Amino acid sequence: MSTDAQEVTAGVEAKLIPIYVMGKRYDVPDSLTIMKAIEYAGYKYIRGCGCRGGVCGACATVFRKPGDYKIYTGLACQTVVEPEMYLTQIPFYPANRAVYDFGSLTGRPEEIFALYPELFRCVACNACTKVCPMDVEVLDYISAVKRGDIEAAARISFDCIQCGLCASRCFAEMPQYHIGQLARRLWGAYLTPKAEHLKTMVANIQAGRFSDGLSGLKAMSQDTLKKTYQDREMEPATGGEDWTPKDRQYL
Amino acid sequence: MKVSYYPGCTLKTRAKNLEDSALAAFKALGIEYQELDRWNCCGAVFSLADDDLIHMVAPVRDLVRAKQLGAGTMVTLCSMCYNTLARANELMKHEEVKRKTINDFMNEEPDYFGEVEVVHFLSYLKNQIGWGALKSKVQSPLGGLKIAPYYGCTLLRPKDVAIDHPDSPTLFREFVETLGGEVIEFPSSTVCCGSYQALGNPEAALKVSFDILSDAVSRGADALVLTCPLCDYNLGRRQDDMLRKYEGAKDVPVLYFTQLLAIALGLSQEVCRFELNRSSTARLLKSRNLLAGVKA
Amino acid sequence: MPYTEELKRLIKVVESTRAERVERKRHNQEVPFLSLDERKEMLRYHPDVKEEGRRELRVGPSKGYRIAHEMADVLEAKCRVNPEAIDLSHVDCETDVLIIGGGGAGTSAALLAEQNGARVMIATKLRHGDANTMMAEGGIQAATKGHKDSPYYHYLDVMGGGHFKNVPELVETLVNEAPDVIKWLEGLGCNFSKSEDGTLKTIHGGGTCRKRMHFAADITGAEMMRTIRDEARNRKGVITVIEFSPAVELILNEHGHCAGAVLYNLETEEYLVVKAKSVVMATGGCGRLHIQGFMTTNHYGATADGIVLGYRAGVKICFLHTVQYHPTGIVFPEQAEGILITEKFRGSGANLVNIDGQQFVNEREPRDVEASSIIKECIVRAKGIPTPTGKLGIWLDSPMIDMLSGEGTVEREFPGKFILYKRFDIDISKEPMLIYPTLHYQNGGLEYDSNCRTSVPGLFVAGEVGGGVHGENRLMGNSLLDIMVFGRIAGKSAAQYAKESYRDGKLTLEHASKYNSEVEASGVDQGRVAPMILPDYTDARIREKQLTAHYVGTLR
Repeated sequence: MSTDAQEVTAGVEAKLIPIYVMGKRYDVPDSLTIMKAIEYAGYKYIRGCGCRGGVCGACATVFRKPGDYKIYTGLACQTVVEPEMYLTQIPFYPANRAVYDFGSLTGRPEEIFALYPELFRCVACNACTKVCPMDVEVLDYISAVKRGDIEAAARISFDCIQCGLCASRCFAEMPQYHIGQLARRLWGAYLTPKAEHLKTMVANIQAGRFSDGLSGLKAMSQDTLKKTYQDREMEPATGGEDWTPKDRQYL
Repeated sequence: MKVSYYPGCTLKTRAKNLEDSALAAFKALGIEYQELDRWNCCGAVFSLADDDLIHMVAPVRDLVRAKQLGAGTMVTLCSMCYNTLARANELMKHEEVKRKTINDFMNEEPDYFGEVEVVHFLSYLKNQIGWGALKSKVQSPLGGLKIAPYYGCTLLRPKDVAIDHPDSPTLFREFVETLGGEVIEFPSSTVCCGSYQALGNPEAALKVSFDILSDAVSRGADALVLTCPLCDYNLGRRQDDMLRKYEGAKDVPVLYFTQLLAIALGLSQEVCRFELNRSSTARLLKSRNLLAGVKA
Repeated sequence: MPYTEELKRLIKVVESTRAERVERKRHNQEVPFLSLDERKEMLRYHPDVKEEGRRELRVGPSKGYRIAHEMADVLEAKCRVNPEAIDLSHVDCETDVLIIGGGGAGTSAALLAEQNGARVMIATKLRHGDANTMMAEGGIQAATKGHKDSPYYHYLDVMGGGHFKNVPELVETLVNEAPDVIKWLEGLGCNFSKSEDGTLKTIHGGGTCRKRMHFAADITGAEMMRTIRDEARNRKGVITVIEFSPAVELILNEHGHCAGAVLYNLETEEYLVVKAKSVVMATGGCGRLHIQGFMTTNHYGATADGIVLGYRAGVKICFLHTVQYHPTGIVFPEQAEGILITEKFRGSGANLVNIDGQQFVNEREPRDVEASSIIKECIVRAKGIPTPTGKLGIWLDSPMIDMLSGEGTVEREFPGKFILYKRFDIDISKEPMLIYPTLHYQNGGLEYDSNCRTSVPGLFVAGEVGGGVHGENRLMGNSLLDIMVFGRIAGKSAAQYAKESYRDGKLTLEHASKYNSEVEASGVDQGRVAPMILPDYTDARIREKQLTAHYVGTLR
C-alpha cells in the first residue's frame, strides 16, 4: 500500500531534522508535515487525525521554537516541520456547549447571551485569535456577538473548524467555537431571507408536477434516453440568473 | 475634519436610539466620521485595582484600532465607554511602566502611547462645532420644554477625564440652551444613578434613581436628558418598578441628548427611535408640538 | 513551499495564453463537449479499465465479481475478532436504532430516526463528523429554480454521468427529494451562499445542464456537517454518540434479521455488544485503501469497513468495479498532496492547461472523462508539467476567475484553498495550481432500495457505502445530496422498522463464523483480516521493528 510519508520522501534524498514530539526527539525528513512526520517516526494515530486536508479540526497542534517564548499553533496535517520544534497535539479540549431547542429560537442576540452568559467575561485579551490555526479573528466575532451583530459574527467565524484551541486558551473560559456555531445557525435560519424559489419547487414536487416526466424517463429505452441526454439544452456557463431554456415542457 | 467613531455594544442593540439619532446629527452637522472597522467591548467599567492591567487590554485595543484608522480623534456617545476609554488612554499616556507591560502583552498589535484623543460628543459639539454654529443649524428650537440635564458620574469623574468642571459643570446647560430648551438645574444631576448596582442590589439602585427623578420633577422638569444607556436603564426603564413601589412616583420622560439634538436639528423622527424610550417621551414631545417640525 | 524557479518559468507560458482564454470563456467559445462516443474513447485512459488492477472475488454473495485488488483484499479476509470469542449473552448497550458512522449520512439518519420516535445510538470510528462529508467543498445539487430546471433535468444529468447504468428508482428518489433537503438544511441554519433577496446562488458542475450546484463558500460539506452535528447535539439523551468505537461485525438474530453490532473501543481495546432493533450502515467510502496506489482526498477513516460488514452479513455489492478519481487533486506542493481542489474552480471559469499553456478539455465534462483526459494529456501526449519529485501535473488556471468575475473573487469564494496555498507562499489568485487526478469516491457499494432497505431485514444503508444511485460515475454535488437524501430516508425507515417490524430473537454471529470458513476454504491468502479500521503510514523501516503491533491487521 502506498504510504503518504514515503511518497513525499521518494526520489529525493531527504534531509533529516530533529523534532520533539511531547518532549521526545525524533529525526524526520524536513519536507514533511507534522502529521506525516509523526507517522514517519512510528506513531499510529487514533486521536488527533481526521480529514488530513485542513478542514476537520482534529489535529490542532501547539509548538514552540528554541529561544522563543511564543506559542505557535497549526494543523498537524498542514504545517511543515521545523528543526528543533517542540510540539504536542491537542486532540480534545473540554468546552461547555449549551443545549437548545433550535426551533424555538428567533435570532435575537439575547438568546445567545442567555445560553452563553460567559461571553461577558471576555476581557479582549485576544489569546483566542492568536492561537487560531485558521487565522479566524476570534475576538472580533466574540465582540460582534456581544454587541448583537450576529451577521458579523457569522461572517467572521465562518472558517472556524472547531478545533477548540481558542477555548483552551481563553482567559474567560468561553467556548468560542460553539458560540460562533450558534451565531451562524441563527443567521442562516432566522436572519437571512428564505429562498422563495425553493419553497415553490418543493411544493410543485409534492403536488406531483414532475412525476409524469420522470416516469417517462424511467420507462425509456437506453437509446432514447441517451439521445434525450445528448440533446438536452445546456445553460451557458457565463449566463445570468434569469436564463431560461427554449424547451419548457418539463419545467 | 474626519474623526473615528467608537459606538459601544449597547448602542448596537438596546440603545439604538442613542446611536441612530447621533449618526443622523453627525451627518446634519457635516461631521465626517468612520466607525472603527474592528472593535471590541470597551471593558464596560474602568478597573480601579492598581495592578489589574488585564482589564486595560480591552480599551487599549480599541484605541489601537482607532490609531490604525489614522484619525487623531475618536468620538464616543456613551459616557460609560467614554470614561473607560479615556482613562485607559490617560494611563497609556502617562504611566510608563504600565504602558510597557500592556504593550508587551499585546505584542500582536503596534505599540500604543496614547496618541488618540478620546472625545465625548458633548465636548466635541462645544469645542469643534461651537455653540454658535450649532445654534445656526437649529430648525426646531425646543421652546418651552423644561429639561433637566443629567450628567451622572462618568462624564465628570475623575477630574483628569472630566468633560467639564466636576462640581459645577455648565456644558450640558449650554447644550440645552443652544437648542432652545429651558434648563432645570437640580442638585442630583451629578449623583450616581446606581450604575451596576442594578444587578447586585437592584433595590438600592432603584432608590437612588427614584430620588434623582423626584429631585428633577420637584423643580419642574418636563423631561430628563442623559448620555448613558446604563443611566437610561436605571432612570428610564426601571420607572415601572418605581411606579409600583413608591407612592407618588411619576412617569418622567427620559431621552438621550442626541435625540434632543436630532429634534432640534429637524431630523426625521425615525432616527430618534422613540419606541425604545418610555412612551411618555414621545407623548410629551408631541403634546408640545416638538415633533411637528420634524420631517416625517 | 512556493513554486520552484523551473515551475515559475512554466507558469509564464500559462500567463502568455491567459488573456486569450479568458476572452473565449467570456464569449462562451468553449472547447466543445465530447460526444458519447468520444467520451467512451477517452475513458480508455481511466484507471478503472486497467484489467491487471482487479480480480474476481472468490468469497461471499457477489462471488465472481471483478473489482480492484485493494477492495478484494478486505473482502477476502477473515474476521478481525474470532466470532466465537464474543459473548452475545452479555449485551453492553441497547438502543432502537444503531447508526454505524458519524458523517453526513449517519447524522442525518440520526436526526430523522429521532424525529420518528426512536432512541438512537451513533457509533463512529473517529470523532462525530470526521468524514468525507466534512471535506466536500464544491456543493450540493438540487433543481430548485423552476424557471429553468426541474428534477427531470437533474435525473438526465445523473444518468448520463453514471453511463446510464444507475438504478432508476434510486435516481428518481435522489432528484425528487433534493429540494426538500436544501429546505431542511436552510431551516436548520446552514449558511448557503445566497443573494440579498434570499435566492440561493447556484453554479454548474461537471456534467450538469443547468446551474444547480448550491454551495456555502468553498466549505459546503463542512458547513452542512457542522450544522447537522450541532443539531444532533441538541437532541441530548435521545441521540447518543460513541466516538472512537468502530463496528467490526454486524450481529444478526435467529430470524436472520440485523440486530446490532460488535463495536471495538479503539482506546481500551474492548469489544462491546450493542443490541438494536434496526441498524443503519453509513460508514462512507474507501479512499484510504489507495486503490491502484493513487493518492486520495479521503479522510483518515475511509477504509470500506461498512462494505466488509454488510457483505459478510449477506448483502450483495454493486458498481464497485468503478472508482472515482477526482480530476483535480493537489500534486504540488507535496505536503498538500492528494488534497482536493473543488470542481467549483472549473465551474467558476478556470481552465485546465497543459505545459504549452493550451486548454485541452472542456472543464465541465463528467469527472471520469475529465480525469481520463488529464491522465492522457500527461502520460500519452506527454504534455504534463513535471514536479520537482518527478511526478506529473496539469495547471488549473485559477487567476482566470478574478479576471472573469472581478478581483478578490478567488479569495472570497475559495477562502479555504486560498489560505492553504498562502501557507506555502502561493497566491492562487495570481498563480495557477498544479493538479492530478486523485482517488476520491467509491461509486459502488452495498445494494439497497429507495427506502434504504437491504436484503437483510433490519439493515439499512445510506450514503457512500451504498451503490447504485450514481451508476458507474458520480457527478459533482450529488454525494452531499446522496448522504442527505438517503440518510434521512434510512433514519425514517429504520425508526419505522424498529417500531413496526422488529422481532426480538437470540443474537448470533454465525454468519461471521461461516464467512471465516468460506475464506479458509476458498484458498485466498489467509493472512488478512478486516475491516481495516485505520490505514498504517508508518515508515517501512520502523514498521519492521514494531514486532507485535501488526499481528491482527494494521492495529494490534
